[in-house]
Amino acid sequence: MATLDRRAFLRTTGLAGLALGLAACGDNSASTGGGGGEGGLGSVKLQLSWKKNVEFAGEYFADSKGYYKAAGFSQVELLSGGGSGTSVESGLATGRCWIGLSAPTITAPAVLQGAPLKIVGATFQKNPFAIISLSKNPIEDPKALVGKKIGVQDSNELVWNALLKANGIDPASVTRVPFQSDPSMLTSGQLDGYVGFVTSGPVRLKMQGVDATHLLFADHGLPLVAETFTVTQQTIDTERDKLKAFLTAEIKGWKDAVADPAKSAEMAAKTYGKDLNLDVAEQTEEAKMQNELVVTPDAKANGLFTMTSELIEQNIASLAKAGLNVKAEQLFDLTILDEVYKADPSLKLS
Amino acid sequence: MAGAVTKDVEQNDAVTGRVEPNGAVTGRAAASGAGTVAWRSLLRVVGPLAPAVLIVVAGWWLFLEAFGISPLVGKRPWQVWEYLFVDGAAAHRDAVFGALGVTVRDAAIGFTAGMVAAMAVAVAFVLFRTVEQTFMPVAMLLRSVPLVVMTPLITLVFGRDLAGVAVIGGIVVFFPALVNVAFGLRSASPQATDLIMAYGGGRLTVLRKVAVPTAMPSVFASARISVPSSIIGALIAEWLATGEGIGAGILRAIGGFRYDEVWADIVVVTAVSIVAYAVVGVVESLVLARFSDQRL
Repeated sequence: MATLDRRAFLRTTGLAGLALGLAACGDNSASTGGGGGEGGLGSVKLQLSWKKNVEFAGEYFADSKGYYKAAGFSQVELLSGGGSGTSVESGLATGRCWIGLSAPTITAPAVLQGAPLKIVGATFQKNPFAIISLSKNPIEDPKALVGKKIGVQDSNELVWNALLKANGIDPASVTRVPFQSDPSMLTSGQLDGYVGFVTSGPVRLKMQGVDATHLLFADHGLPLVAETFTVTQQTIDTERDKLKAFLTAEIKGWKDAVADPAKSAEMAAKTYGKDLNLDVAEQTEEAKMQNELVVTPDAKANGLFTMTSELIEQNIASLAKAGLNVKAEQLFDLTILDEVYKADPSLKLS
Repeated sequence: MAGAVTKDVEQNDAVTGRVEPNGAVTGRAAASGAGTVAWRSLLRVVGPLAPAVLIVVAGWWLFLEAFGISPLVGKRPWQVWEYLFVDGAAAHRDAVFGALGVTVRDAAIGFTAGMVAAMAVAVAFVLFRTVEQTFMPVAMLLRSVPLVVMTPLITLVFGRDLAGVAVIGGIVVFFPALVNVAFGLRSASPQATDLIMAYGGGRLTVLRKVAVPTAMPSVFASARISVPSSIIGALIAEWLATGEGIGAGILRAIGGFRYDEVWADIVVVTAVSIVAYAVVGVVESLVLARFSDQRL
């Protein structure tokens, strides 16, 4: 991928003004990561999977406490996600970003289409995807979806289809309604439920005085990881040390984030996601909830982001249920993370 | 049509201010009308299409190459061809053309709603000057609110089915058409108007016999602009309201990393847009050939 970009970059230097913007990132990834030191690894772009809320607390710590800098990066630019056209997979394929936070259900189809991508770590050991509904009109079982109006974001297309397939529900029996990110569509009666993160919607609704209930995808045939670090195969092959340095900074950031939900929330609401009008109290609740997904017993024992071989197998089986027949070695490469922890066992939690 | 026009004060007569014996002029228009004009206008419209298509396809390919967009995301013309006609093509065609059918229906609904509303309001504007002075600023104010922002409100009021589609698509078509048609209606020849007034006709008669025929070129000009915008309106409605058709499918395809489908969707929507534009162009020249001699 990067060679293509580099070539294109050279070819279009005539159109430098325009081309620079597009090729800038590819240019970065082309420079091989050598040693550490201040800024020696240059600047990279991290494409987030969603808007800058507390979901990325670890990244905020790594940035504000200088862990990225200490690892040798002059800058790690956090690119907000959530809109159309900000998918990590297309970003990596076109060289718009160097690394991204995505999910196996999104990465697997890209891999099956021939994109040379790999997941090298998983922030959320359990995926927080859920159908959120109101307690007075609850959806607690996949069978209860039939005949209901469900809001699904376009970016959650695959996770949604996976849930239906894994539970043998005919897509035609559920009315799918276009949905952006506004849980108030539940209270206004336009929706019976929507696909969202269990960490955010229910907390928000509760703050508005509405009781919500949820159906976790992980409990209904889809025990998948989420917020997965995704890179191109080329990055693994040619910039392994740079990737290790990056993951080290991420681990440090997330250790801080896990330890301090209140500070995580404050950073999301007051600094990084300032223009999103986030509520600190609400974000704190979310941070506490997501800790349960990030710090599982396995993560405690083996280190953050790690995946046991059982977990990988579970993920592959879930993907197969969704009709995505991908092999573990096509999608996951946890060896880089293992090397990071071997080199510095003190990075582990306990 | 020709017969009806014969009886009336002719448009061309009205414009030049001459009153000729009726038969002569209409006879000429009718005779040269259907056959030759149809062919000539069809050729005039279709002729430049072939090179246009070539330029678009070449530009598409060159753009992707020049900016080094990965073929995984930026599909090349032949990849779309393969998607639609080679590998598993039947299923792919079902997905793309099924969605296209919905989009064409939605666009037609929006187009009709917008054009009919624009013509009705334009007539009201011309008949009652105060209506225009009161409502035009309001209309422009509404126009300046982005449609994407208004859509949640529209879906709340009109629902997510065809009524919502008609309103969202209609809004896109309505405003440019309104301005054009109102302008057309008002450019009726003063002499012709005077003539009808002198023979004892009222404002309605003036509207019917002078203003409407005069406005025909404007009506068709706005119809032509409105064809592509009605498709845009339909796509917005599908994306934000109904969740059907190309507008919804294209974003889901992006979410599912099905870029073959994305590009195929773009191609068919563009093709339909061009064809619809051409069809309106042909209809336009046929109607104008009969209705007025301004274009002959």
